[in-house]
Amino acid sequence: MSLFFGLALAAALQAPPPGILVERRLAESVPLRVGDTVRVRALASGATPRPFVVEGVFERPADPSRIARNEYEVRFHLPDLEEVLGTRDRVDRFAVVLSPGASPDSAARWIEGLAFGTRAYGSRALADRTSATFRVVSRFHRAIGIVTILASAIFLLCVMIIRVDERKRDMGMLRLVGVSRGTVFRSIVLEAIGITVAGSAAGAGLGIVIAQVVNAYYARYYDTTLRFALVTPRIVVLAALLGLGLGAVAGALAAWRVVNVPPQRLGER
Amino acid sequence: MASSLRALFRRRSRTLLALAGIGISAALLLDMTMLASGLTESFGELLGAKGYALRVTPKGILPFDSDATIRDAAATARRIASVPGVAGVAPALGAQLYPVTGDSAREPVFATGIDPRGQMLYRVLRGREPGPGEVVVSEPMARDDRLRPGSVVSLASGLDVSLGRPRGTRRYVVSGVAEFLYDYAGEHSVALPLGEVQRAIGRDNQVSLFGVSAAEGVDPGALAARIGRVVPEVSVYSTAELLRETSRRLSYFRQMATILGSVALTVTALLVATIITIGVRERFGEIATLRAIGIARERILLGVVAEGLTLALLGCALGLPLGLWMARRLDRILLSFPGLPSKVTFFTFDPGRVAFALAVVVAVGAVAGCVPGLGAVRSPLGQALREEAE
Repeated sequence: MSLFFGLALAAALQAPPPGILVERRLAESVPLRVGDTVRVRALASGATPRPFVVEGVFERPADPSRIARNEYEVRFHLPDLEEVLGTRDRVDRFAVVLSPGASPDSAARWIEGLAFGTRAYGSRALADRTSATFRVVSRFHRAIGIVTILASAIFLLCVMIIRVDERKRDMGMLRLVGVSRGTVFRSIVLEAIGITVAGSAAGAGLGIVIAQVVNAYYARYYDTTLRFALVTPRIVVLAALLGLGLGAVAGALAAWRVVNVPPQRLGER
Repeated sequence: MASSLRALFRRRSRTLLALAGIGISAALLLDMTMLASGLTESFGELLGAKGYALRVTPKGILPFDSDATIRDAAATARRIASVPGVAGVAPALGAQLYPVTGDSAREPVFATGIDPRGQMLYRVLRGREPGPGEVVVSEPMARDDRLRPGSVVSLASGLDVSLGRPRGTRRYVVSGVAEFLYDYAGEHSVALPLGEVQRAIGRDNQVSLFGVSAAEGVDPGALAARIGRVVPEVSVYSTAELLRETSRRLSYFRQMATILGSVALTVTALLVATIITIGVRERFGEIATLRAIGIARERILLGVVAEGLTLALLGCALGLPLGLWMARRLDRILLSFPGLPSKVTFFTFDPGRVAFALAVVVAVGAVAGCVPGLGAVRSPLGQALREEAE
């Protein structure tokens, strides 16, 4: 019996250090490779650092909720982390896999009823809670977008009025030789739509280029695979439709000023 | 110059539209200027609100960023207090306690153990600082739970997971209602004497952090370094360092503010340049005639630049109130960030910065007016007169 305990003690003493996984950014920063031994202790404790062997290097999931702090991460086996922290039988959270067909909400309520003081969330509810920050950012972007659209609309209207003013004499001549008001009106609106379609196409192209620059910049800045700017087909279609609408309205307003003036007066300086 | 300005207002609708465009661009630039440094400055004011310029935390950890605590807190506080230049040391221990009604516990509240003689977390609005067996509650909690000085609250330190019963319940008398500086809107918080919280959560002689106030005339940065040398097992952050960290975490907003501010400036330049270019082209003959009768080129150029300047100035006058209104609306959106202290603001009105931003808009307007003006005064006079005659 004493021999058995002696062997067990010797085996425990000679046991290799436990393993950890190290995040790729940390591994590159230190640098660390698989097989290296690192010594770890909890920052707040005065305990002696414990050795761990790097068993692997992992890439952190592209999670926007962690990008602001952007801290390095390592993964321990739970008992090893408890040992380092000096805590026992404590976890922050559990992930639960449900049987096929089980309702996440019912399971969550059942767990909360079983373990008082806990909170259980379905993955959708959890995503909804953790994305609250991004909903705020999204609302902010939308507000800025509205201001930008307003400024663009005014700019477009200004350009159309200037263009029409420049060609008042030509319009007057056209009207005098019998071209109808409707034709002049339509030609101005079509011109405005043409300008906005060309502008929208150029804007979409510029947007794609800027999105790539933004993503490249932030990928480097945060060392992440997250993409910060996306130009989706939906956004392009929305921008094109907005451009068309704004162009038509700006053209109509500019044209209205011309077709309501007698052709004789259009030639006046 | 007067004739140039008259020309500007001859085309009223065009000028008004241009002014509206410049006004919106100036407002956007103004907001982005206020946003770029707003939250950091506002957070800085909050950090220094109670006069504690330094935060001493467990090694490598930002204030209340984790559950880690400073052990042997009483001795550590004494060592910090012994550092020359330290005027006061305020301990704080964060915990979660459960308000108890009858046999059941409610949503946990954030509880802080403090030293009532010197604390940095709240301002008492009604009542007084807590003594033994007493608690100060946040205003939202007092409002929602109908508490006032003299009321009694039961707080539990934990929950029995299998039975759902609160554990370690104790009754406290509300000594005061306070404005908690770092709480988000509507947050329920309580503050109790440090010893009460340490006993309740079983963390005797531990604190989450110390606030340290510097004696008058002492540089907080230098004091932080001195404390770091005397107590090497902790981290010492000056307000400036905490602001740098906040600024790093909010770098996305600063960068976005820079990009949008640049876009706003470009739009302003384009608008002014378009309006002035067209205006100058329309008055090409008039300008050529003025040159032909001997008016100096500089005077003509000055007139054209004055047009751009006037447009930009009037646009700024429109943009200032619009920008302030927009800042309030945008601030309301951004302040709905979860967990953000309700006392901070994303947009801070700094007269110097605002004046600089508007001055940039005006300068851009003047430069944008300069380009077509130079074109008009440099064109060959004979050709300009002939073109006008045709």
